[in-house]
Amino acid sequence: MRYRRAGLAKVLACTAVLATVATACGSGGSGTSPDGKVELTIATFNEFGYEELLKEYEAANPNVKVTQRKTGQGAPHHQNLFTKLGAGSGLADVEAVEEGFLSQVMAKSGQFEDLKEIGPKDVREDRWLQWKVDAVTTKDNKLIGYGTDIGPLAMCYRKDMLAAANLPSDAEGVKALFATWDSYFEAGDKYVKATGKPWFDSAAQIFNPMHNQAETGYFDRDDKLVIETNDDKKIFDQVTAAVAGGQSAKLAAWSPEWETGFKESAFATKTCPSWMLGVIEGNAGPDHKGKWAVTAAFPGGGGNWGGSYLTVPKQGKNKAEAAKLAAWLTAPEQQIKAFKAKGTFPSQTQALISPELLNQTSEYFGGEKVGLLFAEQANKVAAAQYKGPQDGEIQDNVVSPALTSVEQGTSPEDAWKQVIEGAKKAAK
Amino acid sequence: MATITDRPTATGPKPARRRGSKRISLADRRPGFVVYGILIAFILGSAFPFYWSFLVASHDDQKFTADAPLLPGGNFFHNAGRVLDTIPFWKALGNSILVSGTVTVSVVVLSTLAGFAFAKLRFKGRGPLMVFVVATLAVPTQLGIIPLYMAMAEYGWSGTLGAVIIPNLVTAFGVFWMRQYIADAVPDELIEAARMDGCSMIRTFWHVCLPAVRPAAAMLGIFTFMMSWNDFLWPLIVLNADNPTMQVALEKLQSGYYVDNSLVLAGTTMATVPILIVFLVLGRQIVAGIMQGAVKG
Amino acid sequence: MTTELTVTRGRGAEPRPPRRDDNDDIGPGKLSWRYRLTRLDVKFSPYVYIAPFFILFAVVGLFPLLYTAYISLFEWELGADEQPFVGIENYTALLADSQFWNAMVNTFSIFAISTIPQLIIAVLLAVLLNTALRGRTGWRMGVLLPYVASLVALTIIFGDLFGVQYGTVNNILELFGVDRIDWQADRWWSHVAIATMVNWRWTGYNALIVLAAMQAIPRDVYEAAWVDGASKVRQFTSITLPMLRPTLIFVVVTSTIGGLQIFTEPLLFSPSAGANGGATHQYQTVVLYMYQAGFQSQDLGYASAMAWILFMVIIVIAGINFLLTRRLASSGEA
Repeated sequence: MRYRRAGLAKVLACTAVLATVATACGSGGSGTSPDGKVELTIATFNEFGYEELLKEYEAANPNVKVTQRKTGQGAPHHQNLFTKLGAGSGLADVEAVEEGFLSQVMAKSGQFEDLKEIGPKDVREDRWLQWKVDAVTTKDNKLIGYGTDIGPLAMCYRKDMLAAANLPSDAEGVKALFATWDSYFEAGDKYVKATGKPWFDSAAQIFNPMHNQAETGYFDRDDKLVIETNDDKKIFDQVTAAVAGGQSAKLAAWSPEWETGFKESAFATKTCPSWMLGVIEGNAGPDHKGKWAVTAAFPGGGGNWGGSYLTVPKQGKNKAEAAKLAAWLTAPEQQIKAFKAKGTFPSQTQALISPELLNQTSEYFGGEKVGLLFAEQANKVAAAQYKGPQDGEIQDNVVSPALTSVEQGTSPEDAWKQVIEGAKKAAK
Repeated sequence: MATITDRPTATGPKPARRRGSKRISLADRRPGFVVYGILIAFILGSAFPFYWSFLVASHDDQKFTADAPLLPGGNFFHNAGRVLDTIPFWKALGNSILVSGTVTVSVVVLSTLAGFAFAKLRFKGRGPLMVFVVATLAVPTQLGIIPLYMAMAEYGWSGTLGAVIIPNLVTAFGVFWMRQYIADAVPDELIEAARMDGCSMIRTFWHVCLPAVRPAAAMLGIFTFMMSWNDFLWPLIVLNADNPTMQVALEKLQSGYYVDNSLVLAGTTMATVPILIVFLVLGRQIVAGIMQGAVKG
Repeated sequence: MTTELTVTRGRGAEPRPPRRDDNDDIGPGKLSWRYRLTRLDVKFSPYVYIAPFFILFAVVGLFPLLYTAYISLFEWELGADEQPFVGIENYTALLADSQFWNAMVNTFSIFAISTIPQLIIAVLLAVLLNTALRGRTGWRMGVLLPYVASLVALTIIFGDLFGVQYGTVNNILELFGVDRIDWQADRWWSHVAIATMVNWRWTGYNALIVLAAMQAIPRDVYEAAWVDGASKVRQFTSITLPMLRPTLIFVVVTSTIGGLQIFTEPLLFSPSAGANGGATHQYQTVVLYMYQAGFQSQDLGYASAMAWILFMVIIVIAGINFLLTRRLASSGEA
C-alpha cells in the first residue's frame, strides 16, 4: 500500500505547476552531511536529560552529528510519531516512546527495527530490569526499544492528615496501611469516618495500578479481549465500593481542579511514581512542605507508572548508527547522568545500585532518601503484564471514563456495562 | 482616464452631488454612557485572560497559590529572562514573523483578486467554482495533516519554513469573505464607468476595487496573521527541531511533569506583543475606511 | 470623472443600471489589436485572478481532501502493515454507531446555544461599535482580544471558572444560595459551559466582520429614511440588515461550518480526559470523536468516513441557512 500512496502524491506533484520548483530540493531528513559525517536525529519529549550526553557522544564519535528534537509534552510528541508512521516518512532516527503509548507502538512493531538484530551485540538484556525488557519484547521475540527511565510506584501521604484521623503516620507504621489493597481501603474507611474527608484523589488512579498488578490484562496473549473473565470486574467493584464509601475526592488527574486539590488538602494519600514527587511539590506549594511524606510500600506489591523507551523506526536511514546511539544513551553510566541532570529514574540494574542514586534525598519530603526508596520499589515490580494492541485505548478512553462516571453518579452496574461495550468496540 | 484618483482623500475635490447638511445616521451619532458602559463591560471580559496571564507571569510560581494576588508582581522580567534562556525566542520570533507575514500578505492579495473576479466579473463556471470554494470549508481539517505531510515530503519541502507557509498561502475563507464584501461595497456602476473609460481589468481592480476594500482587507489580514501565528500542530510536525516557530518553541516551556505556569504564561505574554502591534497597525486601516466614509458624507 | 468615482461609492441610493455583458462594452466593429487585446483581457482576466487560488489549492489542499475520501473506503489503521479495502463498510458502521449519533446530538446542541445568540449579539455589538466612539481603534481591537488569547491560558482560566469543586462560577452561585452545578457530569450544563467559551472567543470576531460591512453602507440612505421619518429600529431592519446581506450570508455560512466543526473548546474543557468528551461522552462532538477515532484509536478509515458524513450534514445545514438568511435579509427591502 505504501508505494501506492507515494504514487498518488507523485501524480499530484507532476500535475502541479509549482512542483517543478521543488524537485530540485530533494527530500529532507537525515543521512550523510556534505562533510561525510553521519547525521542522526533523536526525538524526545518532556525532559530526558540528554543535552550534555549528546555532546559527549559527538566528542567520542567525531564522525557523528546528532540533532535532538524536543517536544515539551508527551501528547504532541506521540501525535507527531503516529502521523509520520502513517505518512511513511519523516520520523527521527531514534524516537522516544512513553510507556502509556507502548501498546500502540507494539501493535505496529513491524514499523520498528529489532534491536537484537541491528543493535550493538554487547548490549545484553540483563542491562535492564526484567519487566522493563519484557514489556518491549514482541510475541515473536523482537526487542523494539531500549529502556530509558521508569516510574516505580510508592505511596505518598499527608502525615498531618493521617495523624489527625488517629492513623499511624510515621514511615514504618504507615506501611501496614499500605500492605495490601484490602488494608488500604480499610484504612480509607477509617479515615473517612474520622474526618469525613476523602482518602485518595480519584478512582482511576487506584484502579490502574491494581489492574496492572493482575496476571492478565485486558487481553490474553492471543490478543483476545478477556475483560469479562479476568480480575477486572472484582477490582472495579472494589474501587467503586470505595467511591461509594466516600473515599474518592473525585478529582481527575491532571485537571486544573486536581492541581488545586493539592493546595486545598483534598485527599490524604496519592499513588506515587518517582516523578510524582515533583508534581506534588509544585502543586501543593511551600505551605505544605514537610507535611507530605513518601514510604517504601505499595499495596499489593509494586507497580510502575511511566518511563520510556528509545526505538529505531524502519523508515530511518542510518539505522545501525541510530541503534548504537540509543544503546549508548541507555547504558547505566549515561542514565545516571541523565538522572542527575533531570531526575529521570533509571531502569538499568547497575544504575539502581549506584551511590549517586541511592544517596538522593528530598528536602520537601522531610529529607527522605527517595533514591534508595524508589530503587527498592523498582525491584518489587512483578512480571510485566501482557498488553494487547488496544490496551492503552481501553484504559484511557473506556475504563477511566467509566470510573469517572461512577464518581459523577452513574451506578457501578451501568458503568460496568459501559466498560464492556466500550472495550468490545475498541477491540473490534 | 488618467483622472481616476487612487483613493478619495480629504483634500480631494468636493463631491459633485452634495448631500444634505444634516448628518443623522446612527453612525454619526455621539454615543451615550449606556453604549460606553456596555462596551467597557465587553472589553473587560475580553481582556481578562490577558491580565490574568500577566498576573501569573509577574509572580513567582510558588507564591501563586489558591488566594491569588490581584496586582502584578515584580517578577515578570525575571520570568522573561528564564524564557529567553530556555527557548530560542528570537529565532522563533523571526521565523513566526516571516511565516505569518508572508501568509498574511499572500492571503490578502490573492483573496482580494479572486474575490473581485467572483464578485464583479462574468466568466464561465463562476457559480459552480464559488460553491466549490465554500464547500471546501465544510470538510474538517484535522485528518488532513497526514496526507499533507505526505505531500510535503514528496515535494521535498518538509523541514523548511516553506512547508508551513505554502499550505496557508490561500484560504477559501479569504476568497469567500472578499467576494461577499466586494459584491456590495464596490458598486457595479463604478466598474462599468472605469471600463467605459478604457481601463484594463487590472487597472479597474487597482483603482476602483482596492481602495474600497481596505477595511475588509485589514480585517482579513488580522485574522490570517492570528491564525498563522497561533498554529501549533502543523509547524510542530513539519519543522526541524532547530528551526521552530513561536508556538512550537513555547510548547517546550511546558516540559516536565510539573508545569511552571509563571514561565509558560511569561512566554505566551511575550509572544502576544507582535500580534498587538499588528492589531494596532491594521486596526487603523479599518478606522481609515470609516473616515473615508465620513468625508464623503 | 474623478469626482464621480470618489463620490458614488454607495449603492442602493439610486437604481442600478441594468447589467450588460462585458463583451458588449465596445460594440463589434473594427478588429484593431487594441480591441482584440481588450477582448482577451475581458475573457481571460477572471481566470487569471482566480488561478493563484486554485493552483495553490490543487497543490496543497486538494490532495488531503481526495486522500481522506479515498481511505474512508479502507480499514485503514494508522501505520499498520495491511490496509484492506472495505467499500462503504465504514459508512454503514458509522450510521449504526450510537456514539456517533450521540456526538451529532451534542454538536447540534452546542451549535444551537452558541451560534445563534453569538450572531445576534455580534450584530448588535457591531451597531454599537459603528457609532462615533472616541478612540475607535481601541474599542474595535478590544473586542477582538479573545481571539488572540493563548489556548494554554484559556484552558487554565476556564478550568478555574467551571471547576466543579473549586470553580469560581460555583463559588459565586453558592454565595447567592444557588446549588453548585456539576459542569462536567451534567450533559446540558457541560454544553452551556462550552457554549460560553465559544461565545466568548468568537462574538467579537463576528462583530468586527459585520462592522466592516456596515461601514460600506452609504450615509445618504439613512438620511433619506430619516427624512421619511423612519425610526431607528425601522432604519436598522429595513436598511442596515438588507444592506448587510452578503456579509450576513458570509457570517451565517462560516459560523454554521465552524459551529458544526466545533473541536477546540470541548477538547479544552477537559484537558485531562483527551478527546473523550466527558466520562459518558456527554459533550463529545463529531469532530472530537473523529479526532479520537483517527489519532487515538488510529482508525483513520473510520475517522475519514466520519469527516465526509459531517461534510454532507454541514453542506445541507449551511445551504438551508444560506437560503434563510437571503430571505430574512431581503424581506426588509421594499
